[in-house]
Amino acid sequence: MTISRLSKVGSALLIAFAASSQADQTSPLQGIIDKTPNLIALTGATVYTEPGKKLQNATVLISNGRISAVGTSVAVPAGYQQIDASRYMVYPGFIDPYTQYGIEAAKPAARGSYRDAPVYKNDRKGGNASNAAIHAELDWISEFKPDAKAAEALRQLGFTAAQSARFDGIFRGQAFVSALVDGLPNDVVLNARGPQFMAFSKGTSEQSYPSSLMGSIALIRQTLSDANWYNQAYGKTDVRYFNAPIEYNAALQGLSNINQQGAIFETTDDRSMLRAHLLLNEFNLTNATMVGSGYEYVRLDDVKAMQRKLILPLNFPAAPEVEQLSDQIDVNLADLRHWERAPANAATLAKAGVPFALTTFKLKDKKDFWPNLRKAVKHGLSEDTALAALTTVPASIAGVSDKLGKIAPGFQADLVLASGDLFADGEIVATWVRGKQHSIKPITPIEFAGDYQVSVAGKPFTISLTGDAEKLSGSVKVDAGDAEAKIVKLEQVKTQQQLLQFNLNLADLTGDKQIAQFSGQLLDNNLTGKWQLMSGTEMLTAKRQPPVSVETDDKADDSVDINMLSKITFPNRAYGLPELAKQQNVHIKNATVWTAEKEGVLQNTDVIVRNGKFDKIGKNLTTPRGFDVIDANGMHLTPGMIDEHSHVAIEAGVNEGTDAVTSEVRIGDVLNPEDINLYRGLAGGVTTAQLLHGSANPIGGQAQVIQFRWGENAQGLKMKAAPPSIKFALGENVKQANWGDAFTERYPQTRIGVETTIRDAFVAAKEYKAKLAAYNKLTKRQREQVAAPRIDYRLEALVEILDKQRFVHTHSYVASEILMLIELADDMDFNITTFTHILEGYKTGKEMAAHGASASTFADWWGFKIEVQDAIPTNACLMAEQGVNVSINSDDAGLQRRLNQEAAKSVMYCGMDQHEALKMVTINPAMQLKIDTVTGSIKEGKQADFVLWNTHPLSVYSQAQQTWIAGTKYFDINTDKQLQQQLEAEKIALVQKVLTSGDAAKAGDKEGFKPYEPEWHCEDQGDWWQIGSHIHANGHKH
Amino acid sequence: MKLTKICINVFAALASSLTTSAVLAHDMVPGQVQKAPILLTGLTVHTVTNGVKVDNDVLLVDGKIAAVGKDLTAPDGATVMALDGKHLYPGLIALANQLGLIEIEAVRATDDTTEVTQTNPDIKARLAYNADSEVIPTIRSNGFAYSMVYPSGSMLMGQSSLMQLDAWNHQDALVAEGTGLHIRWPNASTLGSRWNPKPADEVRKANAEQLEKLQQYFKDAKAYYDAEKAGLNTGLDSRWHEMLAVFDAKRPLFVHADDERQIRQAILLAKEYGLKLTIVGGRDSWRMADELAAAMVSVIYTAPYGLPSRGDENYQQAFIVPKTLQDAGVQYALSLDGFWDTRNLVFAAGQAISFGLTPEQALRSVTINAAQIAGVADKIGSIEVGKAASLVVSDGHIFDYLGHKVTHLWIDGREVDLNNRHKQLHQKYQQRIN
Repeated sequence: MTISRLSKVGSALLIAFAASSQADQTSPLQGIIDKTPNLIALTGATVYTEPGKKLQNATVLISNGRISAVGTSVAVPAGYQQIDASRYMVYPGFIDPYTQYGIEAAKPAARGSYRDAPVYKNDRKGGNASNAAIHAELDWISEFKPDAKAAEALRQLGFTAAQSARFDGIFRGQAFVSALVDGLPNDVVLNARGPQFMAFSKGTSEQSYPSSLMGSIALIRQTLSDANWYNQAYGKTDVRYFNAPIEYNAALQGLSNINQQGAIFETTDDRSMLRAHLLLNEFNLTNATMVGSGYEYVRLDDVKAMQRKLILPLNFPAAPEVEQLSDQIDVNLADLRHWERAPANAATLAKAGVPFALTTFKLKDKKDFWPNLRKAVKHGLSEDTALAALTTVPASIAGVSDKLGKIAPGFQADLVLASGDLFADGEIVATWVRGKQHSIKPITPIEFAGDYQVSVAGKPFTISLTGDAEKLSGSVKVDAGDAEAKIVKLEQVKTQQQLLQFNLNLADLTGDKQIAQFSGQLLDNNLTGKWQLMSGTEMLTAKRQPPVSVETDDKADDSVDINMLSKITFPNRAYGLPELAKQQNVHIKNATVWTAEKEGVLQNTDVIVRNGKFDKIGKNLTTPRGFDVIDANGMHLTPGMIDEHSHVAIEAGVNEGTDAVTSEVRIGDVLNPEDINLYRGLAGGVTTAQLLHGSANPIGGQAQVIQFRWGENAQGLKMKAAPPSIKFALGENVKQANWGDAFTERYPQTRIGVETTIRDAFVAAKEYKAKLAAYNKLTKRQREQVAAPRIDYRLEALVEILDKQRFVHTHSYVASEILMLIELADDMDFNITTFTHILEGYKTGKEMAAHGASASTFADWWGFKIEVQDAIPTNACLMAEQGVNVSINSDDAGLQRRLNQEAAKSVMYCGMDQHEALKMVTINPAMQLKIDTVTGSIKEGKQADFVLWNTHPLSVYSQAQQTWIAGTKYFDINTDKQLQQQLEAEKIALVQKVLTSGDAAKAGDKEGFKPYEPEWHCEDQGDWWQIGSHIHANGHKH
Repeated sequence: MKLTKICINVFAALASSLTTSAVLAHDMVPGQVQKAPILLTGLTVHTVTNGVKVDNDVLLVDGKIAAVGKDLTAPDGATVMALDGKHLYPGLIALANQLGLIEIEAVRATDDTTEVTQTNPDIKARLAYNADSEVIPTIRSNGFAYSMVYPSGSMLMGQSSLMQLDAWNHQDALVAEGTGLHIRWPNASTLGSRWNPKPADEVRKANAEQLEKLQQYFKDAKAYYDAEKAGLNTGLDSRWHEMLAVFDAKRPLFVHADDERQIRQAILLAKEYGLKLTIVGGRDSWRMADELAAAMVSVIYTAPYGLPSRGDENYQQAFIVPKTLQDAGVQYALSLDGFWDTRNLVFAAGQAISFGLTPEQALRSVTINAAQIAGVADKIGSIEVGKAASLVVSDGHIFDYLGHKVTHLWIDGREVDLNNRHKQLHQKYQQRIN
């Protein structure tokens, strides 16, 4: 029995399957029933039964779609079709856990302009969610249609199964797993109840909310909470907290079982991944997997600490464009680093013990999958881990570990047959899916290559054929005795299985002006056939003499340079630190100390900093043992600058400017610790800032107080001692006065309506609070009977305000609205902690002081809109005169760097005492943020947040020399110079590496880098999810 | 229907005039023409061109500086002002801004900065200059006597005018008309807009198209110029007609450009046509300071307070540009390209001292250098005999918050009212507080 015959049996089998593809149990029978057996024995193969387990010379038995046996001593039972796989390696079929296979992709979102009218409502049908980005109720199995072409493309990469749902929206619906073969969906589905796919992007939803990343996060939070509520409340008859029965909500129903069902969350970079992780943790969703980005190595420890599985795309970025010298200024260090490091990401994760699967997701050309995976292997990813990432790990993510991912008895007969080690240079020859063979290349190829002694028209020649059957070429050499041999190429060399055809132009060989055509076949190394000549036909028989095998020495991609020139820093960008800054104990000698306390300014004073706190302040102190000494002779020491109003380090939208009340969104959810403005702020002496939501709505989002701990992650920036706060806004921005003609629909459009909007929200909050209180008084038994009140994060924040647990900072300009809000707050029994901007505060200082409100203002801004026409640069002085606690804020990353100079303007314009002026950027804002017991002044026992200045800190000539937070130095003007030199050298080295890598560097994903973040301002308002054209940046209109 | 529409328009116009009339005209009266000599005594005189002179006197006659020196004798009828120990500077000059062209940024009705079309070499900023703008007195009270205002837009934006800041209208405010033709250079970076990122190749293509467009405008204007010289033009094209002076190198080009590549392209164009070039903006000028000096290109640097242009640049990069230009020998002035914030330009110059300039160099960057770039250095920009008696007195160093206190300002010998809307509102509300 020859191999070729067996191969033919294989093809016959294929045809039989194709003729009768239905194998389900419920379709009415039609025609002849297919009962072809599926009994196959692959023999002599090198078999990877699972990652790390390799059998040599093994046999795999397939019995009707399943593996029935595998091993080195398995006998081939009678009746099995044997395939000699002795030249091959056999792997378990691969599983892609993150695809849209078999589902129509969403149509791209219509891209409008930020001037387009907002969309506040969703098309309601079938009990769907109120937000169009939530499709949790969708069961994608119900839309599934096998896609023969897509299945084949994936099979060619070795994938035999895929998990799919549509990549659209925030809650995307329930995925399913299917085998990658054509057929009835009923047959090929492997798991109809897969995980919920999730992402932050709202996708094609045209609804305005959410327009920001923090809005998406808030929406996810509310929805997951709603799902818990719905589980409890739906169907209850005691609906005392509602005026109606509990609504039917299909989306919430779809999430009722999400932790068992699992979730797969698509992330865009390391920051996005850590955010998704924390959000899911809030709801104890342990059973969730993260789709990664290639940036995981940047925050490796954090990623590892998640203890979650990952799904990694392999879209390594193309190198930044450095070919043209003049355009190199557009390239940043972080991108160059990522270009170099991305291929090593998987290996780095593997070494850290983070489990992951691989996916074809994000590859624009899926054919890049294997070259990129091999690149990852070259960068240190072990073959076993890579195999696990294609088999056992995705099987477990997709909930099919019991049937896919291994070659073991009882498992589905999904196999990959490869000509060699796939992770080096092997090629995939065939796959079996459920026992069904899908050939990519012939398993037993006919080898035509070799020399054949022939004669035609009476002349002897040697025909030499080279290459594989598919890419065969040939030439003819004339045996010309003494004369130099003449070589002519064969034309039209074609094969089909054993058949071979070609043409030979005799004119070139012998001068005989005719073309000889050959057609024949190769059987057992004997070529037989006939020539067609002008004179008639001639028979040909020749013995194939196999070519002497020449080792081809190298493969093209062997040139991958795995030596890393780039550094990884904290954060991983220009001016990042080689390691996280550490606390130091220091003795600062002989400084001019601006205490921001009643002691005022102390000359020639020493300050000892111990364990992150000011330990001693005095003259001629003794240096404690082991303390570093800073000679501050001639220098000024002040508390760190504190900015009540900043928008630095915020990612993907500063405003959720869609609804009029968005108290559910949290700036703390979207911190960006990589924002260079943190470092620049430190260089200006800033240690602390309140990051505020923008001013697009009367009740905006929750604020976050941060400390500028450059290098830490997002959580590390948060100042834990700061109580919660929130942004309100009044006036032109919230009534949409300058938003364009399309924005005239949202309530409120007037300052009058702003009052009722806020009032009504607080009425709702009070009623909500009462309901919760009533429910909490019920006995456990009663609670089981009653539909619980629904947790509403929007109102929760307002209840916290009423409970004096959250503090209000309100954007405001004109006197009328200031008085209005004080009246309203008094009436509704809450406090305004700080009026921010407050350019007409000088007109209402008495009323503000009486209410107990502080003021945080610009030093001298005006002219940018009507409501600032009465702004005056003596506002700070006049408010202070009226007993108001005043601070100076920036609202701007550039201005933030000279808060000390801005404070100095009150000395200049209205003669404020110098020490009082400095307090406006230190202890006063600390009081406004309610962190004044911790920081804001130089006082024994307080956190050591301080700045050393080269000269008088209110002088235009002053520059911060060092900036410290909690006894940790985050900025030093001398280190800065070193950092700059190092980064320039590193950049040059990486540019050279790109240039010397040639075309290899250009291959890859051109969009594989983090997007640039704009500098955010108060009123930057628009839809982050359609940043292409929607974001509205309008300069200085704060 | 038509009537209704008109009514609405009239109403709208009325409404806007009612709401804005209060803020569009101020009540500071322009100073009287100098009738008698004024002798200022005992000052530290920052002459700009002749060093700093301690305990000196300055004599103002007929709107001009008549004498500078120690112990000058007061002519008959002179007003003598003892200003012992105070600092005297030339009235400061702010270049390249939109003072008087815009009152309230967010209110379109008050904004006369930007015309449509890309070919406006024939529009003159002066004609919309509102001498009664409430903003102007707030700029004067920080020591500024002059401002060069320009029309904004894209490509060929129009002509700037140098204005003195104490006037009844734009005619008596005018110091020099057509000080330059302002061009906003097309984008040359491969990044595109941060708000609308696109692949580099797409951006390059778009950049090239815009640049060709601009070059074509110059070709057309030059064709008009050549035909004009040959007497072959068949009519007056007001756009290209206003560019005759440009090709005669009598009116400089003020090219608004920040990126190194833009600046290089502008230098090539200026060379091709033999034009006098000043760069406005100039964030990347530090990358090519020697080339700028060699090509005799001036810079009006508008980012003395700027953030770095790129994330990899040093935090102080924008601050040290003046020092870099100074060291390379580039002629430069400082500017804050805005309107209300022009009053902070003096402190921006102060910060440049912190980042490397000497106080004298910083002073030049807002006086004589600016006057040279505006083509009026023979009249203003220093304290020299024969120059305009435009002078400012400060209690201490004018550049530092701790010294800056402007007590007097003269423009052409006319004493300027240093009151402004801000001081008035301050005084008004003092009444409520006390």
